[in-house]
Amino acid sequence: MQVVFIEWAFGFLLATLGLFVPIILIASLGGKTRRLAIALIVGSNVMGCIVAALCFWRETTVRLDFSAFSPFPLALGIDRLSAFFLLLICTVAVPVAIFSIEYFDLHYAEKRRNWVWTFFSLFLASMILVVTASTGFAFLIGWELMTLLTAGLILMEGDSTERRHSVFLYLLMMHAGAAAVIGSFLLFLPFSHGLDFASLRSAGSVMPQGIRTMVFLLAFLGFGAKAGMIPLHIWLPRAHPIAPSPVSALMSGVMLKTAVYGFVRFVFDFLGGGPSWWSGYVVLAVGAVTGLLGILYAIAENDLKRLLAYSSVENIGIIFLGLGVSLVLLAHQAPLWAGLALVGALLHAFNHALFKSLLFLGAGAISDSTHTVNLEDLGGLQRRMPVTGLSLLVACCSIAGLPLFNGFVGEWIIFRSLLAGSVLSDTRAQIVLPLTVGILALIGGLAAACFVKVFGVAFLGRPRSAAAEDAQEAPPAMRVGLSLLAAACLGIGIFPGLFLRPLVSLVQTLVPGAGVPLETVSIARILPIAAAIVLGAAMAAGLLKRRERIARTWACGLPGLTTRMQYTSTVFSKPIRFVFSSVYKPNRKVDRLPPDQPYFPASVTYRSVRTTSYEKSIYRPFVELFLSAARGLRRMQTGNIQVYLLYIFLTLVLLLAFLRFQK
Amino acid sequence: MKIALNILQAILIILGAPLVRGIVARCKAFLQRRQGASIWRPYYDLAKLFRKEDLVPPTASAVFRVVPFILFATTICAVAFVPLLQPAALLASHGDFFLFVYLLAIGRFFLSLGAFDGGSAFGGMGASREALISCLAEAPFLLSFVAIAILASHADIAGMVSWTLQQNFFNVSAVHILAFTSLGMVVIAETGRMPVDNPTTHLELTMIHEAMILEYSGTRLALIEWASAIKLHAMLALLAALFFPWGMASGASVGFVALSLPLYCAKIGLLIILLAVIESGMAKLRMYLVPDFLGVASAVSVLAVIFTFLAKR
Repeated sequence: MQVVFIEWAFGFLLATLGLFVPIILIASLGGKTRRLAIALIVGSNVMGCIVAALCFWRETTVRLDFSAFSPFPLALGIDRLSAFFLLLICTVAVPVAIFSIEYFDLHYAEKRRNWVWTFFSLFLASMILVVTASTGFAFLIGWELMTLLTAGLILMEGDSTERRHSVFLYLLMMHAGAAAVIGSFLLFLPFSHGLDFASLRSAGSVMPQGIRTMVFLLAFLGFGAKAGMIPLHIWLPRAHPIAPSPVSALMSGVMLKTAVYGFVRFVFDFLGGGPSWWSGYVVLAVGAVTGLLGILYAIAENDLKRLLAYSSVENIGIIFLGLGVSLVLLAHQAPLWAGLALVGALLHAFNHALFKSLLFLGAGAISDSTHTVNLEDLGGLQRRMPVTGLSLLVACCSIAGLPLFNGFVGEWIIFRSLLAGSVLSDTRAQIVLPLTVGILALIGGLAAACFVKVFGVAFLGRPRSAAAEDAQEAPPAMRVGLSLLAAACLGIGIFPGLFLRPLVSLVQTLVPGAGVPLETVSIARILPIAAAIVLGAAMAAGLLKRRERIARTWACGLPGLTTRMQYTSTVFSKPIRFVFSSVYKPNRKVDRLPPDQPYFPASVTYRSVRTTSYEKSIYRPFVELFLSAARGLRRMQTGNIQVYLLYIFLTLVLLLAFLRFQK
Repeated sequence: MKIALNILQAILIILGAPLVRGIVARCKAFLQRRQGASIWRPYYDLAKLFRKEDLVPPTASAVFRVVPFILFATTICAVAFVPLLQPAALLASHGDFFLFVYLLAIGRFFLSLGAFDGGSAFGGMGASREALISCLAEAPFLLSFVAIAILASHADIAGMVSWTLQQNFFNVSAVHILAFTSLGMVVIAETGRMPVDNPTTHLELTMIHEAMILEYSGTRLALIEWASAIKLHAMLALLAALFFPWGMASGASVGFVALSLPLYCAKIGLLIILLAVIESGMAKLRMYLVPDFLGVASAVSVLAVIFTFLAKR
């Protein structure tokens, strides 16, 4: 009974998002039908949440087979891992869709809105397809659609040369990644009956070591490119900020997680762990570097959306660090701890989806009301946009990893699994894993500094521009979207137990012998108590009698303070940029005008540009190599038909010779 | 009885915190050959501040107004992790040192935000400097705990303290010395003492913590001052508990407590004198030398973790 209901509901979800909504929207141009379509999107995603929750909390597996209607095996299924990621997509999609109602109305002309919503709906459907696919073909269709639809959504926002260049880079990197993913699927083929996940799983354990290593490396490359691992991240800070804010929210919050899903599916589910002892260390090291560099780049940014994009790179780094720890522990036969690390990584993926989409939506609300996302032009927004400000404060606390907010729980679990490295018998792990605590702590500290800057500069103090001075609170539906996400962040932050229990069961299906780690129980018990103590103490202190008077800020006895005397975003990050200057290698330039009066200049301009560039140092040599190879191949293309006939003849001879000598 | 003792030690930390501050100030005065204020001075200051009215800048939002309460509340919550008279505390057996460190981070995060809300240059300056120091201090802070946790094979603070309690005092390993050094340096940086920050200065070029709280007054300032005193006391108590737990009450009888309380006073007194000597003996570091100071702390803590591996064999 229940299974039938879930099957129907899931089918309805896919059909609505992928079929009904686009048909309704394309067929009509009126506002009323659009409202119906939006209601369908929100409603079906709520239904998706229920379906995912049912499959995630209770062990229910669902399978839908469409192979009869397609030329290749096309089947969908929800097991616990899929249910977890389906829950992630639908939970974020509901508030984002509610937020978008007013956002798209404000940003697009009547005619274009229907197209934006069509793409939005199809984009959601493609992500659902990716995480619920149970055959390689279904997975790859969703994977490809996801990329193309977001490229469409980015181009719908505007059409400049720079934007096209960024979209081209995005598509290029995504397809390179997809090629690696396809490659790792194909490597399974000689050992499995087909590309459905069940036979891939059984093939994964019988494949020779070399093939397993190849599959692992290709999956790491392919999904790493999609997730934005350094140095494959260069598309991310370019493509994410230029999309419309709700789409940025889905791209950063949700789409990056499909890559995490893919990696977990391949490495933990199909291969049953890394192919050899070093694989975990590789993932751990790349994750640590990505996390550290990502947050260092983020803190130097002044454009809020670019900053958030870099911070996504950082969080992906933390997630992969957790996955790496899990692989290391798995390789050393410590399944209990490996399971703990995997729980931490997956939980952090979910948490990041919540707070990062909240932050991007908040950036959308800010740009809506002030028409800028440059931190240097913002300030004092908390008094003008109290609800937006409060939700963003929750998001900033969460992403900074503070306890009682959700970001802390995942990081804490990863910390504890790192500590477990000291009980292993292997010397390498005994030293590397506990020391990684230091790296994760540094990343966490920098993230806290970064988001003090974001909230402090944008929302507190005096407005730095006329636009910020006149900012208005976001319209009601946007506020609903923001508050829903903020409530979810606080909910998981204070009561993680509800979520951790099914997550532990999920991990038990992926890591044999994982068991229930005591840590997940203890954190679930302590956080509500800590929250109660903090709340009680704050309320008790709040009862103290006090009188309040508004008085001017201390200005060293000068007549008054101006906006220009406030600390800016650039100068806030200056000490950190100074200490880590080897990462940025900044090129500073100070221009004083007029030049003949250096001590009494009329105007001073200062510029500081990061000179380290992945494009120049890593990608350029590859491009050069590729181009010179292409130039070499051009010599073969003479344009003479006899030569081409000769090529055909030679190929034939070679093939015949090959067949003859093969026996 | 055990719970009563837990509550008693939490109250001791909270109420004794201004006294610790007063004694540090008095010791410094003695070392600098000054008369110095009474050791009860911080209590009078707090009482006076609690009676005064709060001045709030015109730019301030609700964030400015709630920051002192959040800071105070999270510091109180962190106190519940610190063992004082017995190797246990209210939350010490469930929560671990990560939670302790990050609870203190909440207060710091919000204090930096409150600093921004005044709309002056000083607040942002203090917040920016605090951000640098705290992000660099986080790694050695956690790593020195990690070293002890590995030796004790416990991550909860109560477990770590009881393990050390069972060891012979003359058997302390290099790990303890290294971890104590780095944790001590972190305590100096985190509580804003010399040579990292001067708690008595209001000079623009040097102040960090004082710059952040410049706009606070009255009840709110009292709460912030009290919270930072509690933080100092809790950190010193934690140092004493982790590295010199000998003398803690192993049972919950009145006799044990009567013995452990004076012993605790002696231990914390020694730490206070050590702090006063360091503070008086060193000049304040230039802002950009602070990363080097914390770099040394990080290196020492990394060594501590590596040495746990040798100590285990």
